[in-house]
Amino acid sequence: MDPQVQMNRWKRLMVSDYWVLYLSIACFLALFPFTPRLASIENIRNIFSNMLPLLVVAIGETIVLITGGIDLSVTSVIGLSSVIGASIMSSDQGLLAGNPAAAAAGVAGMILAGVFVGWLNGIAVTRLRMPPFIATLTSMMFFGGLAVWLTQSRPIYDLPARFIELGQGAWLWLPNSLAVAGVTAVFAHVLLSRSLLGRWIYAVGTNPRTSLISGVPVNRVVMFAYAASGGCAAVASVLYTARLETGSPVLGQRILLDVIGATVIGGTSLFGGKGNALWTVFGVSFICLIDNSLNMLGLSYFVVTMVKGGIILFAALVDAARSRILAG
Amino acid sequence: MNEDMLLEYEDIEKSFFGVRVLSKVSFTLREGHILGLVGENGAGKSTLVNILGGVISSDAGHIRFQGREYTAASPADAFRQGIGFIHQELNLFTNLDVAENIFIAGFPVRRIACIPWIDARTMRARAEELLGSVGLSIPCDTLVERLSQGERQLVEIAKALRLSARLIILDEPTTSLTARESERLFTLMKELQGRGISMIFISHNLGDVFRLCDDIVVLRDGLVVDAGPVERFSENRVISLMVGRSLDHYYPPRATVPDEEVLLEVSGLSHPGIVEDISLTLRRGEVLGVSGLMGAGRSELARILFGLDPYTRGEITVKGLRMPSGPPRAAIRSGMAFLTENRREEGLLMEASVADNIALVCLPSFTRTPSGLVDSASLKREVSGAASKLRIRSSSLDRQKVRTLSGGNQQKVVLAKWLLSGPSVFILDEPTRGIDVGAKHEIYKIINDLAGRGAGVLLISSEIEELMGMCDRILVMSAGEITACVERPEYDRERILRFALGRKPV
Amino acid sequence: MIRQGDRLLAFLLRNATAFLFVAAFLAFGVQAPAFLEPANLLNILLQSSSAAITATGMTFVLLAGGIDLSVGSIMFVSAALAGKVVLGGGSLALVIPIVLAVGIACGAINALFTTRLRIQPFIATLAALYMWRGLGLWITRTRAMNLPESLLQVGTARPLGIPAPIFIFCAVLASAHLVLARTPVGRQIYAIGNDREAADKAGIASGRVIAIVYMLSGLCAALGGLVSVAQLGAVSPTFGNQREFAAIAAAVLGGTSLFGGRGRVFPGTVLGAVLIQTVENGLVIINANPYIYPLIMSAIIFVAVFTDSARHARLSRLSRRYIRPWQAAACRVETANSGEEGKQ
Repeated sequence: MDPQVQMNRWKRLMVSDYWVLYLSIACFLALFPFTPRLASIENIRNIFSNMLPLLVVAIGETIVLITGGIDLSVTSVIGLSSVIGASIMSSDQGLLAGNPAAAAAGVAGMILAGVFVGWLNGIAVTRLRMPPFIATLTSMMFFGGLAVWLTQSRPIYDLPARFIELGQGAWLWLPNSLAVAGVTAVFAHVLLSRSLLGRWIYAVGTNPRTSLISGVPVNRVVMFAYAASGGCAAVASVLYTARLETGSPVLGQRILLDVIGATVIGGTSLFGGKGNALWTVFGVSFICLIDNSLNMLGLSYFVVTMVKGGIILFAALVDAARSRILAG
Repeated sequence: MNEDMLLEYEDIEKSFFGVRVLSKVSFTLREGHILGLVGENGAGKSTLVNILGGVISSDAGHIRFQGREYTAASPADAFRQGIGFIHQELNLFTNLDVAENIFIAGFPVRRIACIPWIDARTMRARAEELLGSVGLSIPCDTLVERLSQGERQLVEIAKALRLSARLIILDEPTTSLTARESERLFTLMKELQGRGISMIFISHNLGDVFRLCDDIVVLRDGLVVDAGPVERFSENRVISLMVGRSLDHYYPPRATVPDEEVLLEVSGLSHPGIVEDISLTLRRGEVLGVSGLMGAGRSELARILFGLDPYTRGEITVKGLRMPSGPPRAAIRSGMAFLTENRREEGLLMEASVADNIALVCLPSFTRTPSGLVDSASLKREVSGAASKLRIRSSSLDRQKVRTLSGGNQQKVVLAKWLLSGPSVFILDEPTRGIDVGAKHEIYKIINDLAGRGAGVLLISSEIEELMGMCDRILVMSAGEITACVERPEYDRERILRFALGRKPV
Repeated sequence: MIRQGDRLLAFLLRNATAFLFVAAFLAFGVQAPAFLEPANLLNILLQSSSAAITATGMTFVLLAGGIDLSVGSIMFVSAALAGKVVLGGGSLALVIPIVLAVGIACGAINALFTTRLRIQPFIATLAALYMWRGLGLWITRTRAMNLPESLLQVGTARPLGIPAPIFIFCAVLASAHLVLARTPVGRQIYAIGNDREAADKAGIASGRVIAIVYMLSGLCAALGGLVSVAQLGAVSPTFGNQREFAAIAAAVLGGTSLFGGRGRVFPGTVLGAVLIQTVENGLVIINANPYIYPLIMSAIIFVAVFTDSARHARLSRLSRRYIRPWQAAACRVETANSGEEGKQ
């Protein structure tokens, strides 16, 4: 008996793939009468440009969440990456100041840094059997502190033009940041839905014991997830750093709330085994929409923070409810 | 209704997932008597006492306890009504001491300034009293963590006596005890009996049952085949009753005979505390049975063979190649497959689709290198092929979640998963447990087919009948060792059960 | 089988905090003798009062197998409210109960989410972290509040000749210790943390006990916040930031397990809190680069959590069932006698 048939309309809506999209549209329509400027081209572009780097981080976080873990260190990875990249690239004091390959080396360094931190997280979770949230919380503190220490809390300026182009420029009509975010999202989508590793990621998140017995290399899959999350945070750092035109150790400080909120409201389950790139795209657009529209309504930063906290709670509730509905 | 009966079961019925586990179970227990409850694995003993202990509820029938109709909503509820339950898995808190464990849900308190404080003196005094009554002479502030299994069990009994239980259920209490600890337990049981406390004693050790019990109830397939005072029975009689006349089970005939080639060879395999000196050979086309009681170490052996658990001595060789001590991936690569005894926790991804489950083991062989992408088209073909070959009944392989399938179909999904990897050595641990008759037959045919195609099958089962119908040889395990190897001509239910019980055949 | 090296390692790990203490005293004392002066040592105690109070509340939650990430924000919102009331003319006698009530209320809400609504503790309290911080920022309009003399008394008063913060900290510690060691609820907290299922089966009202621990955590957070702002003299918009991390660190350093059921407020958590403050104080005195502090702290926390995880894994392995108990008995007895932490 197909369980879908028995559910009433509301429930069916809740478990639909697109429910966050519907929610976003509903919010948009609800708030539009209060701030018509919400729908202006300029504002939409604004929302969009905020969305893109956040999306990249959220995609990495999604992969970790699907395996049943969590990565709270992404904000520090963004800061650390930014600082490392800038230290390499800066025309002022960087290691490769003036060198035409500076930008490329900088980006490579940034991504390596992110993947390395992710790899360390993975070791803590798989080999040392530390609970993911405390392991990544400790990482967050350590690498955040490291970034601040490396720069003595001073931002690094004078980044090469080539690098800045990467975040702010465009190729024809396509903004580079959109291209980067788009490629990341598509890559993640293909990885999760079509590749062997993707299938393994879902299996591990659904039931690690069954996966182990069925021949899945559970530890390696989990390590990959954390490394990917670190790598995505580093890529996002490239975008943020280019946009800010500064290497700053506190670059990612404020976005943890948004990252977790976006992935969870998008439908990725905190219990593992569920989630995908598309849902995260919807989740990120929802969070950015809320952020933007509440700001436009004149609500202060703190109210917005409270609302976002409430959203995470709401999302967790829905997550629990969805599992219960699907369990019949 | 007899007034002087402490406990009466009347026509108790229970089913799980559509499978009947208890049918019209009726018996009585007098005050101050010890009742021995015996039966093979899966006969329904645990279910029967779990109803009494408030862990599950019955579907039909009545229970009368102390002259009144009895129901228990929870274990705590049963406890309050005077029924103590000593489970096989003890429910003690290792981080607290003995006295605290005994009184955890009902500390003696003194109110000072409106706050309840534990009345330590009273608690200690009463704890010492209770410990004394079970013959445990340890200080009551000893941490449970430091106690041996036998001592912990006695603490559980002391806990049960806290509220003056009139009936204590002991579910296989001696399996983790040394001989001395068992003796201490039996002395205590006799002493408690002297104080008017009744007991239900579940055990596989018939010698103990005959020693301790006043009455016996023999269960088989959820039915009471006989019950009465222990004098009416002999050990032989009980074994015959447990095993029973042959129920008309049809086991599909084998088309082939085992080959000479050895697929799996194990010699001297040991791991302290788990298995001791295991040696066996499995040939091509052979179905080798492994019999034994629960707790004999069969599943543990299977896990070691498959690389899930380590071993310290001995050798495992598959098709001539020496196997390392794990991981499962290595076992799979050398051609092994392992269907575990609990499909819900270890065999299936309950929240995933049927197709995803079937594909899980063979995924790597459908992956196009170097892209790492899965060839979903041909994978899908193989998966539906396997599903239809095994006659898995599902509305949609891609969309239906495995959780919604019947037990038999779920097991077929696990089988399909492993069959797709083309195994040469297939370990099956209780493959027909909790499955309806129709599905059982289908699985038997699959097993025969496997052997016919040249695989070797290691079949672990608690149903001696099933092993006799399916296997070329049967190994019997007891307490982590192989106690016998029975060839086909010598197949005899009672004989095998005796080996499993650890007794020499007559 | 237990080997000698294994035993030594176990001993080292079990007493890690004590060793770290000694190491810190030696390291700082050698580099800057001013560190060892009584005035400085008193200072350390004063500065660690607030953290110790908060960490005590966290210990309750951890013991029951949960986690509370919102304590920093509870500190903030209750201090903000206290400041507002006092600046609006309220007396100290009015403010203190209000602050404590706010803490308990926040804790009750956390409890609601984790027990009734079945949301995982870390996500529920993470959401609460943002919600209460937002509320606090709204109350203070994101501006720092300078606190009047009346509130500062909490920092400067000397009941019985002992500085008020230390007095309060001792009072909290003593009460917490008594509750955990001598009341039914306290022992049931340990039981729930050890085995929730067995606790439910034994008839313990687990939901109620868990609600109590979260409320206690909220209460301690509020109290700790009050003690802290009284010493600082002002409530800044970033007050309480990352304090939950410090509280967890203090508890874990003190031997409280993240897996529940293990830990003591005295000497455990107290030692952890004082150790953290000692390290911070010492780094300041030797004029170390202030940016090193989070690095050292997270390294210490990492070691503490790693020890906890390793011990937990080892204990799980030891408690499995044996098919041949007489063979396993030898191994068991050896480990049992190596004496883990003793009575909890």
